[in-house]
Amino acid sequence: MIGLGNYLILSGVLFSIGIWGVVTSRNVLKVLLSMELLLAASNLCFVVFSKFNGDYAGQLIVFFVILVAAAEVAVGLAIIVLMYKRLNTIQADELKEMKW
Amino acid sequence: MPSLFFYFFAAVMILGALTVVLARNPLYNVLGLVVAIFSLSSLFILLEAFFVGIILLLVYAGAVLIFFLFVVMCLNLNADTFTTAKQTRFRILGAIAGLMFFAELLLALKSFLLAHSMEPSTVRGTIETIGRILFTEYLLPFELTSLLLLIAIFGIVSLAQGAFNTGKEDEATL
Repeated sequence: MIGLGNYLILSGVLFSIGIWGVVTSRNVLKVLLSMELLLAASNLCFVVFSKFNGDYAGQLIVFFVILVAAAEVAVGLAIIVLMYKRLNTIQADELKEMKW
Repeated sequence: MPSLFFYFFAAVMILGALTVVLARNPLYNVLGLVVAIFSLSSLFILLEAFFVGIILLLVYAGAVLIFFLFVVMCLNLNADTFTTAKQTRFRILGAIAGLMFFAELLLALKSFLLAHSMEPSTVRGTIETIGRILFTEYLLPFELTSLLLLIAIFGIVSLAQGAFNTGKEDEATL
């Protein structure tokens, strides 16, 4: 039978892969995608604890996380498009100055 | 039978997540995340969180990731834009960092599971139950979310305005 431990280990694996992506990728788009993985891992954690604690609050928090992530992605992608237009690159290590 | 589904979707999710990190082509990164989110939503439904699972599928796989795909195609990014010399060394260092993090999580999990033994409850996250709580107990956060989305729209519009200004005109506005 699948218990709490299995789900939490899966969530941990997903979170670690996300950390790996955020740390290693130089492409800003890929960093944003890996951050989505981190959010997915924490969402899984919330839903699992909601199920095993018998409390709906976990699922509501996941709902809010999805909404906030949608706003975050929209703003982040706008910044990436702007960065590509001005600097013609989306490599993080080529951003040497914060001034445009 | 549910355990079979769990292992299947867990394997698919981890494969999708690895595609996000390892694939060179940004198109495959985005599609890997679509696969991962799809199996995550399947796991939510396995946990009887039906509403959140469907919202995840609609909002994430349906809107957010297609937006990512749109940007990748719009910017015309391809694989050889991203190959840099010292990449493999950083990959290994990053993998070590990720594994250390995972080991820490496992240690924390072990002590947690020894202290608490939990059984699945009868919680069923249908639209009715979630909606009832969302519009009574969590009404204020829900309304505040609309404010957040409004602010995000303002931010994007102001960013997009900057994108259309070029040259000297640009210097004047900043």
